[in-house]
Order: sequence, then structure tokens, then C-alpha cells
Amino acid sequence: MKTNKLKVSMTAAMASLLLLTAACSNGDSGSGAAAEGKEEVTITFRSSGSEDTLTKYFESGLIDKFEEANPDIKINIAPVLASEGDYTSKIVLQMKSPDTAPDIVAEDTSIIKSDAAAGYLEPLDTQVAGWSDWQDKFIENLKAGVTGEDGKIYGVPATSDTRGIWYNKELLAEAGIEVPFQPASWEEVLEAARTIKDKLPGVTPLNMIVGKSSGEGVTMQTLEMLLYGTNDTLYNEETKKWVVNSPGLLDSFNFIHQLFNVDQTGPSMQVALNGQAGSIAFQQLFPQGKLAMAVDGSWAGSTWFENGAAPIENVADKMGFAPFPTQNGQEPGAITMSGGWAWSIPAQAQNKEAAWKFLEFLMNQENATARVVAEGNLSPRNDSVDVAGYTDRTFVAEAQALLDVAHFRPANDEYATVSAQIQSLVESVASGKLAPADAVQQLQDNVTRSLGADKVEVK
Amino acid sequence: MVKHRLQRNIQYGILVVLGLCFLVPLFWILLASFDTHAQQGIKMPNFTLDNFSAVLGDSGNLRSFGVGIILSGGQATLVVIASVLAAYPLSRYEMRFKKSFLLSILFMTSLPITAVMVPVFQMFLYFKLQNSIFATMLFLTASSLPYGIWMMKSFMDSVPIDLEEAAWIDGASVWGGLRKVVAPLMLPGIATIAIFTFSGSWGNFFVPYILLQTPDKLPASVTIYQFFGSHGLVEYGRLAAFSLLYTMPSVVLYMFSQRYMSKGFSMGGATKG
Amino acid sequence: MKRKSRGAFLFLTPSVLLLLIFFIVPIILTVYFAFTNMALTGSAARNLEFVGFRNFTNMFQDPDFRISVWRTLVFLIFSAVIGQVVLGFILALLMKEKNVTFRRIIGIIVIAGWVTPEIVVAFCMVAFFSDNGTLNQIIGWFGISPVSWLFSFPMVSVIIANIWHGTAFSMMVYQSALDEIPKDIEEAATIDGAGNFKILSYITIPMVKGSIVTNMMLVTLQTLGVFTLIYTMTGGGPGTATQTLPVFMYNQAFVNYQFGYGTAISLVLLVIGIVASLFYMKSMKVKV
Repeated sequence: MKTNKLKVSMTAAMASLLLLTAACSNGDSGSGAAAEGKEEVTITFRSSGSEDTLTKYFESGLIDKFEEANPDIKINIAPVLASEGDYTSKIVLQMKSPDTAPDIVAEDTSIIKSDAAAGYLEPLDTQVAGWSDWQDKFIENLKAGVTGEDGKIYGVPATSDTRGIWYNKELLAEAGIEVPFQPASWEEVLEAARTIKDKLPGVTPLNMIVGKSSGEGVTMQTLEMLLYGTNDTLYNEETKKWVVNSPGLLDSFNFIHQLFNVDQTGPSMQVALNGQAGSIAFQQLFPQGKLAMAVDGSWAGSTWFENGAAPIENVADKMGFAPFPTQNGQEPGAITMSGGWAWSIPAQAQNKEAAWKFLEFLMNQENATARVVAEGNLSPRNDSVDVAGYTDRTFVAEAQALLDVAHFRPANDEYATVSAQIQSLVESVASGKLAPADAVQQLQDNVTRSLGADKVEVK
Repeated sequence: MVKHRLQRNIQYGILVVLGLCFLVPLFWILLASFDTHAQQGIKMPNFTLDNFSAVLGDSGNLRSFGVGIILSGGQATLVVIASVLAAYPLSRYEMRFKKSFLLSILFMTSLPITAVMVPVFQMFLYFKLQNSIFATMLFLTASSLPYGIWMMKSFMDSVPIDLEEAAWIDGASVWGGLRKVVAPLMLPGIATIAIFTFSGSWGNFFVPYILLQTPDKLPASVTIYQFFGSHGLVEYGRLAAFSLLYTMPSVVLYMFSQRYMSKGFSMGGATKG
Repeated sequence: MKRKSRGAFLFLTPSVLLLLIFFIVPIILTVYFAFTNMALTGSAARNLEFVGFRNFTNMFQDPDFRISVWRTLVFLIFSAVIGQVVLGFILALLMKEKNVTFRRIIGIIVIAGWVTPEIVVAFCMVAFFSDNGTLNQIIGWFGISPVSWLFSFPMVSVIIANIWHGTAFSMMVYQSALDEIPKDIEEAATIDGAGNFKILSYITIPMVKGSIVTNMMLVTLQTLGVFTLIYTMTGGGPGTATQTLPVFMYNQAFVNYQFGYGTAISLVLLVIGIVASLFYMKSMKVKV
């Protein structure tokens, strides 16, 4: 008797457990369901918390304005609070299913080609063809960053950045180097570093990111900044093969070797290999006058603004931002690597038409510029410079000018593998464990092993 | 006797040193939480409660603590109930394959949760369970059940069977025997498993992050990432204040269960199999 | 007893159902993915293909994999076996029959590290080991110049962090096990003239052998999975200095998006867990 009662109650308990699970899941999922007869558009992006500028940007009347003009569309924002790496993992999983896919998603230009190849993203060629701004107002160079391997457009660039040499004007002047600093070749950069080492003991001449723990920054901010200033590239767009051995690669590794091991004008290994090397340089060493130059992104200078992590008074007088020169000063004289975020529409999105409507609104002159001003980034639109306040920001004019010489990473689905190899090789060369020639050889061997001999070529 | 006392004093001395070693890493978090300009290094702050008021003044934070408590608390409760029930037959009856079954389940816990999460997410999509706090709780429950059952069985093995048999003779059912005789004797073990489970999932980032979609359903283990701005700029002061508050539920739970704890951890019984 | 057993087996139902649906099925899928080219993005994400043992052959040729296995073993042996298990035992032994208040204070201090969530432990430890952090201040009092711990001694740093976080569990296990040893046995041995060390090795340890093995097993399985702590403190670096298998797996699966390869790596952890557990049971001659 007792046993039977028990059996019944156990079964009932299990059944209700499963029912409850199913019930709880109903109505929670994804986007797309028409609420109050409106089309819903869910927009997903990476948030950095309650003070997130992008969230504030959406909530400060932008959405209201759009919904007023388009009473049949409702915009939901769904920020993802996570580190940049975790954000990517999350959205690729979300975009797999119509139940979780947002209608608009923020894609890092480093992953957009890969996500396009995976079939997660909707090609936008027809949409941009009918949008006059796309032809006239978007900086031509940046379109490469949102073009898939198949040549189709998979996103609208929303923010951009450039990289160059940040420097302390006072220290350079003290060492007798002409300010504003305008190096015309790699040799002049190295020479400036040597001068600082001689004249200003105790000051680190030039910081470059070389620690594997800094991740992708090593590839993009150090190796590619060098390599794309030689006559070689990392990827041959025509043959679709990786160039794993070239004179340019050897010269790039030689530059790192020269800086860190021969001249010893780089940062100490403790700083260089720290995962927080960038923050240490900008929050501690620069403000304390212990660092003269650093190759870093255009956003980094905002560290010293009034509301930044390490404010410096009259920052425009004390600090400067110089273009990074090509190897021997060959055309176009300077180069930069560019990244940034784009807005894309997932292939599994429910309301693509409404999504595009919002996207066009989001990327008009006024709204596109308002975002980059709020975030301290560069605008992909060439008419942002006409908007009041855009170029008034410190360092923006210098950084913006570099967009004309910007290169993008060949960020297809094999890129992460190649980049991981580059990161550890750069670290090994900088810490003196590997000769530049051996690094190139190892890059060739390792990438060939990972991707196969048909994916690589030697120049 | 003198030798004995000397020995005792040496032992006290060693314990004090070890205690200090365990104490020093906590200094930073204590000081930084009262310092709005905290950095990685340790320094005396200008004591201020600004960090705490900033963290507590944000309704999103309070919400995420609430969600975390529901998620981890619910999970701990389910783990205790399910593992008491499961441990009973495992402890009291001879079953073929019992040991190998238990061991293989236990071994599976050494797989990193990051590897298991992608299949779990796909399964959640398939059953349309994505974004369900309750389903997430069930997954967390299942993932800590191997430990729960294993530990619970060990505790139960050390409860003598004679007591239940006496209850059965008095007319109690198996269920009655478990509920009225065994469970009360095992309170220490139950408290142990509850706190072990709670603290384990209270800090779990990856599971809720992948399985839950809407921001307002995310627990504190995910929202802690709000202090890491873009490009590696960390708000150390608020992070420390948040962390300190974040540690509190586990500490309170521990204090609360202290009186059960000292007896709760013997697993000698596990060897009797 | 037989009479009652049928009902009692129903007690297993909730656990078995939960484990089956939410644990065993995903793990079977994980094992399956280890034999596919599954990727989270890129063209391989479009077509899942069965690739046989290719992930495993790649893995064994990958020098980074061999390094990671080695790092995992070092981390396991020093932070779990030597650190937590031995230190936990010493703490429990020393605290035996000490003043109750004293016992409680030390206990709470040790346990503070245990109830602290892993991510918070990681921050405390990064700050503790940082260039002008607590540890360098302390050694400064003895006139030793600051050391960049996370750079110069990365493995030692993460091991210490894990010991700080995990020891309380072992301590509590041993405390209650030691409490169960009848007092008169040890007293009798003392009267017979046995020294402390003899009592420990001939009476105390054999009596708590079961707890030791079970604890070693649980601590080992848990340590094998440690990811957040290491990833937050060092990201697996500098270089590959702290790249244990969970970190290596995460990098392959979520940074390089080669999910199939990542799951293949995670299966190696499973094997290490099983081998270690069986080894403990054999070497201590305990049947679990």
C-alpha cells in the first residue's frame, strides 16, 4: 500500500517537473512574435555594464524617435554583458536558430567573414544597392572589412579605429627629437627609440604589444602594422592562400628582434608579456612620464581624458599621435590596420525588412556620428566630419586621416589559427628565444601543418 | 609534560602562521572595495562607501543577486532532495554494477563544463528551453548530482541500519524510515552538500551565460563582467565591492550551517562500498 | 529487506532522469563531436562531417598539446595532491583538540578562500601577486626587491591560488574523519611509548585511509576542470607556462572556434581523471 502510494507520488512529481519545465520555456524565447500587432526588431550588441555607452545611446531617445516615425515597428535592445571573446561565442550560438537569433547583431569585423561563410548572416547587397548613402557617404576602404569571401556585403560598418604611434611630446622634445613626431621609415622609429634610450635613462623608449596573453592585439597591432608597411601581405586575395614565408615577414620579425633584443629599446619583459600590457602602458607608464612612445589603437588616448582611467591635464599639449611609417617610406608613406564593429542581419532573423529599416536609420549621418562621438571611435561615414563636435575631439583628426591608408585583417575562418601561431612566434622573438629567420620557418611549418599545404604559399 | 606543552605551543605557532597565509590575499579586496581609485597594487584608501553605494544603488545588480540566489538556491535544494533519495537504495541495497555506475558518472564530471555547454545549448534549443531559468536550474542540478550522490551515499553509509529496521518493525514504510530516521541523522551531511553545491554554482559564469538570453534573467556571476570595460580598462574599486558582496551569500550560508559542519565531512563510509 | 526493495528503487528515478536528460545525453554528444569537424563559425560550421580520428591524430602531433598535458599534470600534482590534500591534512591534524574558539577562527579564515567564487579568487590573487601588490610589500619588509610573480613564477602563482581556494574542503573532510577516531586508541599507543610520527603513520593515517582516497579523487576531478582561475589570472601564459588542458581546450574551441578539436582535447581530461582515481585506489589498497 505504502509503496504504491509512493510510486504514484513519485511519478506525479516527475511528470509535473517536466510539465513545469515546458511551461516555463513558453513565451520566453527569441524575437519575432508580433506584440500588439507590431513587428519586433531585436538588436544585440556587446555591453560593458550599467555604464555602457552604446546602451545609453539607444535609450536616450533614439529608439523613441524611430518608433514614432514607424509606429508598426517595435525595437527591443538585448545587450550581451561579456568579454569580447565570450560575446562572439554567444552570438554564433544564438544565430544558429530562429528562436534565439536577433534581427540585428553587432559583428566585430574580425569575425564577420567567418560568420558569413558559416551561413549565419544575410547578404545585404540588394539593400545597400538601393541606399544612396552607401555609395556616396561610406569610406570606400572600410567596405572591405564587411565583404565576405564570396564578395557579398554582410554588414554596414558602424565604428572604426586606426593604429599609430602615441608619444609623449615633452619626453621627445627633451631628447631632441622634432615634435610633432613624423617618422618616415622604420629606421627613423628605431633611431628615435635609441636616442631616447641614450638621453633619457629610466624611460622606456617604445612599447609594442608582444605578449601572447594580449591575444589578437599582438598580430594586429604589432606584426601586421609592420608587415602591411612592407611590400608583402599575410594573405593573397587572388590565390586565396596564406603567405607564410616572405621577405616582408622576415623584415617584420627582424624589426621586433632589433627593438627588443639588439637595441633593447622595448619595454621590460615583465610589462611586455603581461596580459594587461596595454593598460599598464597607458594608465601607468605614460602618465608617469616613464614611456616615450607606444604603438596602439586610436581609442587608447581616451584613457587620459577627464573621464578616463588616468586623466592628464591639457592632454593635447602633452601627448601626440603619429602615423606609423611604411618600411622604407614607400607609398603611401604610412599605414594602419583598422578594425571596428559592423551591424549585420542574421540569416535566421525574423523581421529582416523592418531590421533593415532601423539599420538605415541607425546609420544616417546624425545617428552614426552620435554613436562614435559617444564611444570615442572613428566614424565610417565621410560626412561625419561635417557634424559639429566630431573633429573637435582631441586626437580624432589625426586618427581619422589614417583611414585612407587603412588595411583590414584577412579575417576569414582560418585567420584565428594563423593569428594564434603569429602571437606565440612574436612573443618568442621578442623574448629572444627565437631568431627571426627561425620564426618565419616555424610559421610556415605550423600553418602548413594546421591548414594543409594547399592553403599556403611562399614568396 | 614540559615537552608536551612545548610541542603544543609549536603547533599553535604553525597554525597561526598558516592562518595568516590564508588571510593576506584577502587584504586587497577589503581595501580596494573602500577605494574609488583602486588599482591592482595594494594601498591604503581614503575610506569611502561610494563603491558599495554605486553597486547597491543599481537595481540591475540587486536583481542579478536575486536571480543568482533563486538559481543556486533552487539547485542546491533539488540536489539535496534528489541525492538523498538516490543515495538511499545505493547505500542500503546490493546492486549489480552499482559501483561502476557511480564511478563512471563521477568521472564524467572531470570534463570541462565549457566543452559540454555547446551540446547542452543545442539540446535546449531543440526542446525550446532556451532562456528558461528553471531549465537552467535543472541542468545545474544534474551537473552537480554526481558529486551530491557520491557524498550523500558516503554519509548515509555511516548511519547504522539497525535504527531503520527498528522503525520498520514499528510499522514505518521505507519512505517513513528515510524521512523520520535517516534524514535527521544526516543533517550535517545534507548541510555540507547544500553549501558545496550552492558555492559551486553561485560562481558559475558559463552555464547561465550560454543558456539564458534576456539580460534581466542573468545572475550575479554574469553581471560581474560589467566592471571590465572595453580594451582592458577595469574598475577595480567597484569590482572589489561587488565581489565582496558577491561572496556574502556563501559566507552567510556557511555560518548558518556551521553547527552541522564539523560532523558533516567524514567520507570514511565511502570505503565500505 | 528484500521485501522493501522494490519501492526503494523508485527513489533513484528523479536522479536517473535528471542525469540522463541533462548530463549523459550532452556528454554523449560531446564525445560524438570529438570525431567531427564541428566549428562554431566559418564554412565548417555549415556542414558537420564525421572525421574519424583526425582530431586525435592532429592533437598528438601538436606540440602545444603535449605541453598542456604536462602543465595539467604539474598543476594537478602540486595544487591538488601535494597542496590541498597534504596541507588540508596538516591543518586538520594540528587543529585537533585545540581550543574551540581558536579552531573556529582559523577554520573561518581557511574557509573564506573556499566560499569565495573562483572569479573573485582570481582577482584577489592577481592583486596579491601584482608588482606593487601585497606579497611584494611583505617581502619588501625583509629587504627583498619586488618580484613579478605572474611573469617569473606563473605556475607557482596559479598553484598557490588554487591551494588557497581549495584546501578548506580537504581540511573539513579530514577534520571530521579524525574526530571519528576513538581517543583511547591513540592514548593507548602513547602509553606504549609510540612517538607522534609512529602514531600518525601506523594508527591515524590507516584509520582515515578511506577518507583520504575519496577526498583525493574528488579534489583531483575538480582540479582537472579548473579553468576560470587560470584563465583570469594568466590566460594560460606567459607563453604556454600555465596552459593546462582546460585552457588549451577553451582556446581551440572558443577562440579558434574549432569545437570538434576542442572536445577531443577535453576527452583527454576524462582519461586523466579515470587513471588518477584508479591509481589512488590501487596504491592505497582501498576499494571504493
